[in-house]
Amino acid sequence: MPDLTPDELERYSRQIGPGVLSLDGQQRLRCSTALVTRAGGMGGPAALMLAMAGVGRLIVAHGGHLISPDLNRQVLGSEQGLGKPRAAEFAAYLRGMNRFVQVEPLDYEPDDDQALELAARCDVILSCPPTFEERLRLNRAAVITGTPLIDAAQWGMTGTLIVVRPGETACLECVYPAPPPFEELFPVVGAISSATGSLAALEAIKILSQTGRPLWGRMFTYDGYHGRATAVQLQRRPQCPRCGAAARGA
Amino acid sequence: MKIQVIYTGRGYQLAELLPDELELDDAAGVGDALRLLAKRLPADVRLPDTCLISVSGQHLGTLAQHNSVRLRDGDELTLIAPVAGG
Ligand SMILES: [Zn+2]
Repeated sequence: MPDLTPDELERYSRQIGPGVLSLDGQQRLRCSTALVTRAGGMGGPAALMLAMAGVGRLIVAHGGHLISPDLNRQVLGSEQGLGKPRAAEFAAYLRGMNRFVQVEPLDYEPDDDQALELAARCDVILSCPPTFEERLRLNRAAVITGTPLIDAAQWGMTGTLIVVRPGETACLECVYPAPPPFEELFPVVGAISSATGSLAALEAIKILSQTGRPLWGRMFTYDGYHGRATAVQLQRRPQCPRCGAAARGA
Repeated sequence: MKIQVIYTGRGYQLAELLPDELELDDAAGVGDALRLLAKRLPADVRLPDTCLISVSGQHLGTLAQHNSVRLRDGDELTLIAPVAGG
């Protein structure tokens, strides 16, 4: 791994040391690529925290143009960006926060083939879209390529994280044998989507830098409405069509 | 025995219609607890089939398809309705 420059060491000095990242861990971050799709209420704060932490390359996928209702939670947007393509706006914001990282904006949500191609060239996937269809597509790409997946989701004042180590822990299709119903205009308070996105970024930073204990195979839920947190140790389903015995050709 | 009940995820307001605690026979299983919870709801309200079910942190499956286990006094039955917002 190439050494960090003195400027980079100065930038990251508060996160290198006991209880946080090692120097090697910081260098691993710099040599890593993370895919964040999408970069809205959760993916935006997640991408921001990854950029500021020094993840070397960020691929940020989000289609469409910024609209006013986005601005109750999409921290990478701004009043000046209304009406403009989200991906380019978000990438500009991220670049403005850390000159040491590369940001690759994609102004679309990846289809099956694109998700597979993207998963193959990244070290972690942060799944933050508003539909189960997209989440399951990213899960498929993660399982096929063996790429760690962090699924972040929210509703109202509640957020959940599922951290998948493909082939070893439960995948999303183990957890959701049948896709749950889709709700287009789900309620969302920006504070919970931001918190959930930041926790997703923390898991990615731990995984990429090899620091601490990632939430492998667990589902963490914070119900902000009721003020309680729960953690569930997820079980793999042997008959899972994505990662079960049949899918592996066993 | 008594168990604790947590309902969260999508539509977490449903928790207001459910008891925080259930009293059950000592031989009761998770299916008994779920049936009792369903009876506590108004006739037009159902627990979502895709709800994740866990007992004291151990994942059992979904409401529609889950392993059956015996419950123990003090267990925590958690139902998490899937959320997908981004
Ligand atoms: Zn699976």
